[in-house]
Amino acid sequence: MRTLTDHEKRTVRRATIGIAIYLVLFAGFQMWKFMHKQRVEYLQLVADATQLRLKVQAYQSRAESLKRMMEEYHLDPAKLSRETIVGEASSAIQKAASASGIQVGTVRESASRGSADEIATMQFEGSGPVPAVTGLLNRMQTLGYPLVIDSVQIAPDTRPGMMKLSLTIVILNFEKWKTPEATHA
Amino acid sequence: MKELPFMNLSPVYIEISQGWLKALRETDGLDVPLERSANGQLTAACKETLALSLHKFLGRKGWQPRARALCAIGANGVSLRRMALPPASRDEFSKLVRLQVETEFPLSPDELSWGYRKLDALPANGAPSRQELLVAAVKKDRVEEYAGVLFAAGLNPVFTPAAMARAYLCPHPLGSCAFVDVGQTQLEFVGFENGIPVALRVFPWGTEKRLDSLAKAIGGKTGKVYITGSNGAPGEIIAELRSKFGIVCEQLDAASGAGQSAAVLGLRKASEENNGPALLLFQAAAKPASIGSFKFSQPVPKKWAVRVAALLAVLLILPYAEALLLKGHLSKKLAALKSGQGKMSAIDQEYDFLRYLKLNGPPYLDALYLFAKAAPPGARFESTSMNRRGDISLRGSMQNAQQVTDFRAKLIDSGFFDRVTVEEQVPTPDRQKVNVRITAQWKPVEKRAGLAIGPTRDEIEKAKTNTVGQGNSPARGGMPPGMPAGMPPGAVMISR
Repeated sequence: MRTLTDHEKRTVRRATIGIAIYLVLFAGFQMWKFMHKQRVEYLQLVADATQLRLKVQAYQSRAESLKRMMEEYHLDPAKLSRETIVGEASSAIQKAASASGIQVGTVRESASRGSADEIATMQFEGSGPVPAVTGLLNRMQTLGYPLVIDSVQIAPDTRPGMMKLSLTIVILNFEKWKTPEATHA
Repeated sequence: MKELPFMNLSPVYIEISQGWLKALRETDGLDVPLERSANGQLTAACKETLALSLHKFLGRKGWQPRARALCAIGANGVSLRRMALPPASRDEFSKLVRLQVETEFPLSPDELSWGYRKLDALPANGAPSRQELLVAAVKKDRVEEYAGVLFAAGLNPVFTPAAMARAYLCPHPLGSCAFVDVGQTQLEFVGFENGIPVALRVFPWGTEKRLDSLAKAIGGKTGKVYITGSNGAPGEIIAELRSKFGIVCEQLDAASGAGQSAAVLGLRKASEENNGPALLLFQAAAKPASIGSFKFSQPVPKKWAVRVAALLAVLLILPYAEALLLKGHLSKKLAALKSGQGKMSAIDQEYDFLRYLKLNGPPYLDALYLFAKAAPPGARFESTSMNRRGDISLRGSMQNAQQVTDFRAKLIDSGFFDRVTVEEQVPTPDRQKVNVRITAQWKPVEKRAGLAIGPTRDEIEKAKTNTVGQGNSPARGGMPPGMPAGMPPGAVMISR
C-alpha cells in the first residue's frame, strides 16, 4: 500500500475532524430534540396533575356536604336496591306510623308510569291524634328511603280526638334520577 | 504586559541554608525547617510543605501577578572566578562569557547556573583594554530545585550567593575585609579585596581544627572580619579568634525575628537603598516543568472555573433529567388519580340526588304551624289538603268575618305564602259563626330560604310547661317528642 504524503495525511485528518464535528453536532441536536420533547410532555403531565389536584380539592368540600346530608336523612343511596326498595319503604312507613300512634288503614302501591324519576307511588291512609299525624310527617324524611310526600289530606275522623290522614307518597328513582327543573316544591 | 502598581505584591527576601528557609516580606517573616535526603536534595514532603507554607505566607490572590523573590543560597557548591575578557559587542560578549565559563569551570555551562558582575578595574598603562568579570556558578540542579518550589508557591525567584548578600549590611565601598557566617553545622567565609569577593569557602563547624582552617583562610592580609549568625555562637568565635589567632573580629547585629537573617537583611538593604554594586544573580529560569506535582499547584481560579462550569451544566441538564426520571412515576400517579374519577362522578350523583331530596321536601309542617299560629281563638279547621306543588286548601269555621280577615292577614304577613284566597265565607244560619273555605299557595323554595319559621325558644318552653300542667297528654296541645315545631294553643282540629 502506498504511503500517504504529508499533504494527504493532513487532508485525511481534517476530513476526520470535520466528520466528527458533524456527527457530534447532529447527534447532539437529535439528543436535544428528544430531551426537549420529553420535557414538554412532562410539563404537560405536571399541568394535568395540578388541574386534577385542584379538582379533587374541590370535591373534598362536596364530599363533606354529602356526608352531612346522608347523616341528616339516614340515607346512603349506594346501599339502596331498586328491587326491594318499594317493599322496604312501605314497611318502614307503616312501622313509623304505628310508632307515632297512628292506626294504619288502607295502603295502595302503584308502579310509576311515565316518569323516570319515580319508582312507585303509595297511597297511605290512617287515623290518629294530631300529634301523631304531625310526628309521622316529620319522621317521613328520616326513614332512610328517598320519599317525597306528594300530597297530604287531613280530615276529621268519626272517633272523637282522632284525625283521618291520607298521604300520597312518591318513592324516587335514585338510579335514573336526573336533575329536575325547579318546581314550587 | 505592564503590571499596575496596585496589583504588585511587595518583594520577598529569602535565604535558603542547609537546614532552614527564612522569608521576609515587609514586616512579616517565615521560618521553615528543611529536610534533605542523603544526596542533599530536598525531600518531596519537604518541598510540598515548603511550597504550601510559602503559598499561605504570601496570601496571593489568583488575579495578582507573581511576587518577585530575591533568594540567597548557601555557599555549598558555589564557585567564584575572576575573568578578563576582550572588549566585544553585547551579543558577542555573552558568548565570550559562556566560552570562558566552559573553560574555567569543571562542568559545562548547560549543567551550571551561573551569573556574572562586571568589575570596574582600571587598565594598566599600555595594556589592551579588557573587561574584568566576577563569575559565580553553582550546579543547575540545585538552583532549579529551589526555583521550582518557589515558583509553585507563586513567586518569581532570582538567586544570589548568601555570602555576598551579607556584605550589603556594611557600608560601601567595602575595601578589604572578610565575612564569616556561623551556621548550625558550618561556617561560611567570604573574603573581599578592594570590595571584590575573592574567596568563598565553607568550613564544618564544631571543632577547633576547623577554626584553624578558618583562621588560615582569613590570613593576615584581610582587614576587618565581620561575624554574623544568630545561634549565639558568634560571640565564642570572636573571642577564640582574638585569643588564639590574634584576629580582630566584629559582630554584625542582625535582627533575630521571624524570617530575618544577615543575608535576608542584606538583600533587603541592597534592594531598597541601591548602594554598592549590583547583586550578582544566577541565570536560572524557573521552569514550571520543574515544579513537580504539588496538589496546590493547580491554579485556584481554574478549579473554581471547573466547579462553576459543572454547576452550570447541572443546572442546564437538571430540568431535562427531571423530565426523564420523573415522567414515568408521574404518569402512573396521574393514571391512578384518573381511575379514581369514577368515584367523583358517584359523589356528584349522590350529592345532587340528596340535594334534590332536600329541596323537594314539601314544608307541610311549616304550613300547619303557621295555620295554628295565625288561627284566632274559637277557630275550627275541619279539613286540610296540601300537595308538594304548594297548593293548600282549608275548610273550617271562625267566630266572625273580622277573624277571617285577621287570619288571612297573619298568613300573608308570615311571608311564607304567595297568595291566600278566601274562596267562600258563609255565615251559619244562627249567625253565631262563619264557615270559610280558603286556598293558598306557598312560595318557591328559594324565596322561603330566608324565613325563620317555627316556634321561638319561649314558645317551646311554654308548650313544655302546658304539657306538664295538662297531665302530659299529647292530644291536648303539646307536640310529641321529635317534632320540630310545637302547635300553639288556640288552634283546634275538629274531630267528630
